[in-house]
Amino acid sequence: MTQDGEPVIGVANLCKCYGDVKAVDGVSFTVGRGEVFGMLGPNGAGKTTTIEILEGLREPDSGAVTVFGMDVTRHAPSIKQRIGVQLQTVSLYPRLTVTELLDLFGSFYEHRLPTKQLIDAVDLGERARARSMNLSGGQQQRLSIALALVNDPELIFLDEPTTGLDPQARRSLWDLVKGLQARGKSVMLTTHYMEEAAELCDRVAIMDHGHILEMGTVPELIGRRFKERAVFFDTTPMLPADQLGKLQGVTRAAQEDGQTVLYSSDVAGTIGTLLALADDLKVEPHNLGIRQATLEDVFLDLTGRALRD
Amino acid sequence: MNTLLRLTVANMKSLVRDRAALFWTFFFPVMFVLLFGVLFSGSGDSKVSVGFVDQDGTAVSTQVHQAFAAVPILSLQTGTLDDEKAAMQRGDVSAVIVIPKGLGEAVGKSMAGQKASSALQLYVDLSKSQTTQVIQGIVTQITNGFNLQLAGGSAVVGVDQQTLQSTNISTVAYLVPSILAMALMQLGVFAAVPLVQQREKGILKRIGATPLARWKLVGSNVLLRLVVAAVDAVLILGIGIAVFNVQIVGNVLAIGGLVFLGAGAFLALGFMLASFLKTEEQATGVVQVVQMPLMFLSGIFFPFDFMPSFLRTVARFLPLTYLGDALRQVMVNGTQIAPLGVDVAILAGWLVVCLAISARSFSWE
Repeated sequence: MTQDGEPVIGVANLCKCYGDVKAVDGVSFTVGRGEVFGMLGPNGAGKTTTIEILEGLREPDSGAVTVFGMDVTRHAPSIKQRIGVQLQTVSLYPRLTVTELLDLFGSFYEHRLPTKQLIDAVDLGERARARSMNLSGGQQQRLSIALALVNDPELIFLDEPTTGLDPQARRSLWDLVKGLQARGKSVMLTTHYMEEAAELCDRVAIMDHGHILEMGTVPELIGRRFKERAVFFDTTPMLPADQLGKLQGVTRAAQEDGQTVLYSSDVAGTIGTLLALADDLKVEPHNLGIRQATLEDVFLDLTGRALRD
Repeated sequence: MNTLLRLTVANMKSLVRDRAALFWTFFFPVMFVLLFGVLFSGSGDSKVSVGFVDQDGTAVSTQVHQAFAAVPILSLQTGTLDDEKAAMQRGDVSAVIVIPKGLGEAVGKSMAGQKASSALQLYVDLSKSQTTQVIQGIVTQITNGFNLQLAGGSAVVGVDQQTLQSTNISTVAYLVPSILAMALMQLGVFAAVPLVQQREKGILKRIGATPLARWKLVGSNVLLRLVVAAVDAVLILGIGIAVFNVQIVGNVLAIGGLVFLGAGAFLALGFMLASFLKTEEQATGVVQVVQMPLMFLSGIFFPFDFMPSFLRTVARFLPLTYLGDALRQVMVNGTQIAPLGVDVAILAGWLVVCLAISARSFSWE
């Protein structure tokens, strides 16, 4: 989206070690006002460490980190007044009710939204008097978003907001995030899920082993790596891999989750030669299909492994 | 409302809505008092043991002896003055009645129409006012009866009351301050568990992401526990007084001060434990490992003098020994293990050291 004025987040050459492990190793990026910025990567990639440094929960070892143009280590209290934070861990005072928790967290801030408005915003009206321990996973996640919004923040951090949610709860959370963006909020989120990044984020950074491997809009990221489309089918052991690579138009063959994927610049030619090969060997490729390359493919190509490992 | 208070109220609600926590913080000590009170207050109290010393050795003094021996609730034990005073100091008898030399002579003179008088000596312990009142009543009745019989009411035989501090107090009176000390120890040490739990669940971290100052987070925990300490003290003392007639002699301010100092010292110990424990399971286990020996090796349930010498040595290293000691001294005039000032200094020392270690090592996530 548009990046007018000063960025809300500026990170330059950030490093953070835990003992010998370089959790974040020379990361730089900016997030503009009103932008939804996603960090994508497997567990241990350094996403959470990066986001927690921005939230003022950890100190960077080196590098310049600013939020609203202010240094995070020196201005943490005033930054905290203006950001909203949702952490991976959901549970909060399990025996307090939704209303009590929102009232309590509201009291920590100089400026706050009315509890009723927050409850309506995340659609928890019917559970307002329920103790947080009795909420479903999706409701707890919505509560933790409401808690992140309690001070009407300009910038909201969401750390894996939909991990462990069922598809329906995930959809409703996506709608919430889109609503935030529509109201001009800036959002930085981390996720494992490619669809989520593709659905929500204006720009995505792919992170692994403490480095940002690639950054840009989703179409940019795909376009940069894949001019081809993908032909996929259930892996058939009878089809030798070396022969698949030689089919017409195939630039690369890969195995993902029990499927064989052939990246092809000539889909019709690839399928034609594939079926001929299968016919020769008297086998039939099941669930044959064609798709565009996705972020998942980009990730696999960049890191050599699937994201959810 | 102040955020500190709001946070304290939030912690309080969490505690009150957690049945298990509620049981351990409030009902467990109350149960303890009731159980121990019933166990130890039953049989012994029906008869009052009194030392009887006859220094006169006349027919009259034998008569007086018989008069006391005829009182059903008294159990007389005769001996020399030194023996009986020692017995009283040990707590074997509640009072000592002495018939001085010359009583028989005075009675003889007054019967012959001469003016003469003598006085029984009565040693009582004023801190055990219930028993003392009973004995005073009996002694007065018997001497009045004697005077009436002898000389138509003129005071030939008087009572000369002296006080003697008995070093041993009734078992229940010993136990009530001990159980209060135990409850304060437990509320402090057990505070480690919710703290570790809140850290493990990320609650501490989540609050760290708000502008709330960290001292308020700690402060609300301390405030909550001090409120619990006050409630525990009122409950335990209330039951001791109302159900088991324990006499509380110290002033409220001194007792209150000790309750908060004790709670503070063990709270600091709890914080220190929380600094080194990572998971809730670890915390519940270690807290038991810490509180059990404290409870049983600290001379709070067994009088210090009755403990084998190696246990006494162990107990001298445990802070709970000194909290129990201080509370007993202030509340029921108990035997001192150490002077009150030393007790207070040791507790304050534990508080400062544990707090300093926690401040250095406590991690918020």
